[in-house]
Amino acid sequence: MEDLLLYLTNGVFMGTTYALVALGVTLIVGIMGVVNFAHGELYVLAGYFSALFAQAMGFDPLSSMLVAVALIFLFGLVIERILIRPTYGQEMYSLIITFILYIILQNAYLVIFGPYPNKPPSWVTGASNLFGLFMYGNQRLASFAAAAAVIAVFMVVMHKTWLGRVIRSVAMDREMASLLGVNTQRVNMLSFGLGCVLAACAGVILTPVFPVTPTVGVGISLTAFVVMILGGLGSLTGCIVGGLLLGIVENLGVGYVSSGYKHLFGFVILILVLFFRPTGLFGQKQL
Amino acid sequence: MKRYWKLLAMLAVLVMTFSGMAGIALADETIKIGIVGPRTGTAAATGTAFEEGIALALDKIQGAGGILGKKVEVVFEDTAGDPAKAASGIEKLITKDKVVIVLGESHSSAALAEIEVANRNKVPFIIAEAWHDDITKKNYPYVFRAGPCNSGVVNDSIMGFVKQYKFKKVAIFAETTDWGKGIKELAEKGLKGLGVEYMTIDTETKSQDHYAELNKVKKFKPDLILAFVYGFGVHYLIAQAGEAGIVPSQALLLEGAGPPSLWPEFWKTVGKYGNLELFVSRMHEKVLLTAVAKDYDAAYRKKFNKAPTDYKSRSIYDVILIAADGIKRAGSTDSDKLVKSLEDTNLEVSSGKVKFGTEKGTYAYHQWQPPMLIVQWQDEKQVVVYPMDAKTGDLKK
Repeated sequence: MEDLLLYLTNGVFMGTTYALVALGVTLIVGIMGVVNFAHGELYVLAGYFSALFAQAMGFDPLSSMLVAVALIFLFGLVIERILIRPTYGQEMYSLIITFILYIILQNAYLVIFGPYPNKPPSWVTGASNLFGLFMYGNQRLASFAAAAAVIAVFMVVMHKTWLGRVIRSVAMDREMASLLGVNTQRVNMLSFGLGCVLAACAGVILTPVFPVTPTVGVGISLTAFVVMILGGLGSLTGCIVGGLLLGIVENLGVGYVSSGYKHLFGFVILILVLFFRPTGLFGQKQL
Repeated sequence: MKRYWKLLAMLAVLVMTFSGMAGIALADETIKIGIVGPRTGTAAATGTAFEEGIALALDKIQGAGGILGKKVEVVFEDTAGDPAKAASGIEKLITKDKVVIVLGESHSSAALAEIEVANRNKVPFIIAEAWHDDITKKNYPYVFRAGPCNSGVVNDSIMGFVKQYKFKKVAIFAETTDWGKGIKELAEKGLKGLGVEYMTIDTETKSQDHYAELNKVKKFKPDLILAFVYGFGVHYLIAQAGEAGIVPSQALLLEGAGPPSLWPEFWKTVGKYGNLELFVSRMHEKVLLTAVAKDYDAAYRKKFNKAPTDYKSRSIYDVILIAADGIKRAGSTDSDKLVKSLEDTNLEVSSGKVKFGTEKGTYAYHQWQPPMLIVQWQDEKQVVVYPMDAKTGDLKK
């Protein structure tokens, strides 16, 4: 029982991080039909920024995180305006452009930040005894709470606010939304920026637990794509469920089967889900 | 008009001829050495260490007039620890850059791919830091290793340490790479031979989260964890083992690769859980075994304005000196003469006196095992705790 609780706890923590990372990719795919290969690199950049502002400029953790997220949002708007917008309607072009961007950014990080891992100071230190059964890192618990809060706020914005309705209307029927006066180009730009904000939030929240290196973005993007496909392309709810499912399955697999094939469990569950539900768990082109 | 064309054609031929000759003359003025190693990927820090070692070795060699009166040119190919990239990288060094010898590497998986290419092309290859036994066990005539091998590290150092300090229960934590699998099997065999109870956890190379795995370790209640995880992964493992309440209170952790415990971000990532951590190393600031080690230490501090930490910069430095010595004694860059010359090596480098094994049949062929130290972090200071004749302090538990 103690083992199961630990695996589930860690699975929920990892799953929440997966969901947060994947939500940004899903949003951009759902609204714009653009697969952003550089999503993981934006996560990494936010991690570097938060470390830089906290260490070199002496910002407190919260301020360094907020500035990092704001900068990534602006960077996202610039990417959309200069690189993505000219490719609208040509999905393959946007795919190639974001792929090139991923390579450029990764190499730039190596030159600028060097090969070593980088992290901002932990918000909290030490570990807590959970359920009186096992020790769990306090920073992990804090990061989990922050990630869950960001996901909750994002879902409220998407489902309960005017902005969310506008974004979802474009995802449902772009032409109709346009006829009703929605500036779809601006929604695209905002959605891309928002997707980048989610990547940045994941970066600043998780970097104190998993320090960033120039190449860590590859794994982040890959996990995000797996979660997105698992949950169903374009489904935000599916993304959250998919992330949690992946985190829990990986941990149970490591705990009860074998630790040497951790990532294999994720792919097995993906194949199984796609076999029985080819559109993913919540697959439909509706946000 | 026709005459002008003829004149132009003649001029073109002359220009091409002379420029070609100039090219040949230029090529002849340098001796090209190829280096392979990770400049990207999870062990990109090793690439930085290699760059430092290359710079120092070149300063020394060029300052002494080069080799055979020629300047040395180094071409460094990134292999990223990826066998496919490594094979194409060394192929490029040999066929396009026309290097006379290849040196370096620190990933066994990459090195196992590279030795096939070097041996096929009959170009000498001296490995600095890839430890898998099979690298020299294949007994390829053009492949040498002037660095640690798994058998040497496990049998000579780690098992001696376990026996000396009477550890009773050991957990092995090994990544699923060629190096990890190889060293894990040797450690299991060694522990069985010592009658020490052990358990083994295989972990994925790129895994950042080890909580579920550490839960199994905690229940086993070891007094020592052997962590055969390379790169930044071992930082995460130490931090999480600390959070889980395993290190250092329940067990000590011996990191089996070395340099990651010396990388600049180590303390920032592992925090207080890094205290009492142990690691295998070829270098310690108070253990300068030879005059070359002292020279290297002084030159490093002068050039980089800091103390040397990552011993892999010194490993590549040594290997370049071995190659330079081999070429000098061969009096030629001919591959076969070079192999013969390397087999006769009797050179003092920073880690000791290099002599390659020449008897075929085992991993000891073309292998030179440098002495290894086991170092413990004690209040952020490095203390050598094994071997006993090199000790600079007592082991703390």
